Amino acid sequence: MSVRDFLLTREGLHSWLSRLARDYPLIAPVEEEKGVITFKQVGGPQEIVFDCAPSTLPPKEWFLPSTEELFAFSTAGGGITLQEPPGPKERVLFGLHPCDVRALLALDPVFGGTYPDPYYLGRRKATIIVALSCTKPGPYCFCPAVGGDPVVAAGADLLLTESGSSFAVKAMTSRGEEIIQRYPGHFAPDEEGRGERARQELAGQLAGMFAFLPDLRGVKEFLDGHFELPYWEEVASRCLGCGICTYTCPTCHCFDIFDQSWDGARGLRARCWDSCMFSQFTRMAGGHNPRPTQKERVRNRFLHKLKYHQDRYGLGGCVGCGRCVAKCPVNIDIRRIIGDLKELASHG
Amino acid sequence: MRETARQLLREREVGLVIGYAAGSEAYWVTPAFIKEEAQADRLVWNPFCVNSLAKYLINYHHEPYKVAVVVKGCDSRALVRLLQDNQVQREKVVVIGIPCLGVVDAKAAALKIAPGTRILGASVTDGEFLLQTESGTLSLPRGEALCAKCRYCENPTPVLADTLLAEEVAAEPAANIYAEVREVESWPREKRSAFWDGHFQRCLRCYACRNICPACTCRECVFDQTDPCWVAKAHNLSENTAFHLIRAMHVAGRCVDCGECERACPVNIPLRLLNQKVIKDIKELFGVSTPGSRLDEMPALGMFATEDPDEFN
Repeated sequence: MSVRDFLLTREGLHSWLSRLARDYPLIAPVEEEKGVITFKQVGGPQEIVFDCAPSTLPPKEWFLPSTEELFAFSTAGGGITLQEPPGPKERVLFGLHPCDVRALLALDPVFGGTYPDPYYLGRRKATIIVALSCTKPGPYCFCPAVGGDPVVAAGADLLLTESGSSFAVKAMTSRGEEIIQRYPGHFAPDEEGRGERARQELAGQLAGMFAFLPDLRGVKEFLDGHFELPYWEEVASRCLGCGICTYTCPTCHCFDIFDQSWDGARGLRARCWDSCMFSQFTRMAGGHNPRPTQKERVRNRFLHKLKYHQDRYGLGGCVGCGRCVAKCPVNIDIRRIIGDLKELASHG
Repeated sequence: MRETARQLLREREVGLVIGYAAGSEAYWVTPAFIKEEAQADRLVWNPFCVNSLAKYLINYHHEPYKVAVVVKGCDSRALVRLLQDNQVQREKVVVIGIPCLGVVDAKAAALKIAPGTRILGASVTDGEFLLQTESGTLSLPRGEALCAKCRYCENPTPVLADTLLAEEVAAEPAANIYAEVREVESWPREKRSAFWDGHFQRCLRCYACRNICPACTCRECVFDQTDPCWVAKAHNLSENTAFHLIRAMHVAGRCVDCGECERACPVNIPLRLLNQKVIKDIKELFGVSTPGSRLDEMPALGMFATEDPDEFN
């Protein structure tokens, strides 16, 4: 893979995005409702929110839709016929921050492992990812604490970094290079390494702007040896058992499969988001529930973020986007949880 | 508050005090469950104590000990409704009431302070919300900073309390509480439909509105039942609408207008507006007060009176 750097003026960015919106479904952050920024298909750059930090909801909806039809079934004419929905068209996802790109890398082995998931992988393959370096961290961002970097987006096809009146563009994949070649006249080669300098400069500015960086060192090792902790009861006593943290999380990916049919003769099979915070999530036929109280559920979520994902895939389960922190109605804050666990670890 | 909590725990009058502790940001608090006297110092009271704590009492229904709970005026209405529904037993709860001038939902108020600015304190006066920061005091008009529900509070002083921690605060003369509801009522049907469709299509079905709601106390919720499946799991406008409308009807007569549903919603659906419409209709139909305002007033939909409107006749 060769790496190539380009420069793009602000006007150039707008005209490129207009062209992209004509040629592809272009998906980008928009302010759907006052204070609610989500990734939606846009008609052009005028609809895009460029400086959100980060969006209210992550872009995972475009890879793992909250409700996704798997196939329709019909028994008309005897037998049974299945019909799958058409696969996704090639599309461009613009404006992901590096944490959201990292979240996709964390999801890839889940859906691309021993049992490849054609739905997720189809959407992933159909998507050209144009990431945007952060210019200001959100008040609850903590990506550097979990190994992230607000100006590095390995996994994206292109990375744009704002620099004065222009943008530094880094083609990270051959697909990224192709898309630059497809729009000649917009991108000027960056022969003097301005992009690299811009990214380094920005990284330096951002470094001191994270308000609260929890220290993860030793936390996983502590959790490896301590499954039972009275601490989880304290957290669970506050927890409402709603799905906000899991549904706003860019790496949470649990789903439930169900059939919908009005007459039994035709209908569809779909999957939709589910949450380990819900009491029915682990309830089995017959009524047994291996996670009977909120204590087990809360513990599961934090162990998944801080341990299980690491155990299974060697990747962190939390990318430090801070969305769950911003939205929890009872202020269960993963940054504080990490700090509390660290404290417990140091006291034996 | 700390002294009251200490005393209650020391004298073994209660086994648990539910109050507020400092949150992870200066403008947030988190519910606190204090079981030991020494822990009582964690308790705080400040203008950011928005959460209603009354519903947590249900989790301690079967405990042998009494539980003390900190309530504001609006939260005391929730407690009254829980008592009326026998979800909580009066003899098992000690009510620590706080007369209150209004609280601030930092997320909604979008406090314009530079990130990282240290907040040293906050207070609400008759006319202002004051935020002391290391770079000076920020003053906002009360109407701008306070939660919408506090701008015309019916019960600044809890309607039920064993101890009041401050002087009583008199309710201001009722302004036009339902102005927003009336505005939406005046719209043509198509506009109302488009308004709610626009909001409901955004719903994530995270059930935060239900789980935080002090009126939602069913042991098994209708939305969790799979057989029969009243509302499908699919997230779409039709199912989301069914969810919100069924919920609004289910909490009718029990919704105390605490606004917690709207505060919890991660995608800013104006749920309080929907529930206020139901409260307004019930008040007009049955001539009752806001649910939970009076322990001795039977819930409008929990009793029958021959004078009740009978529009089907």
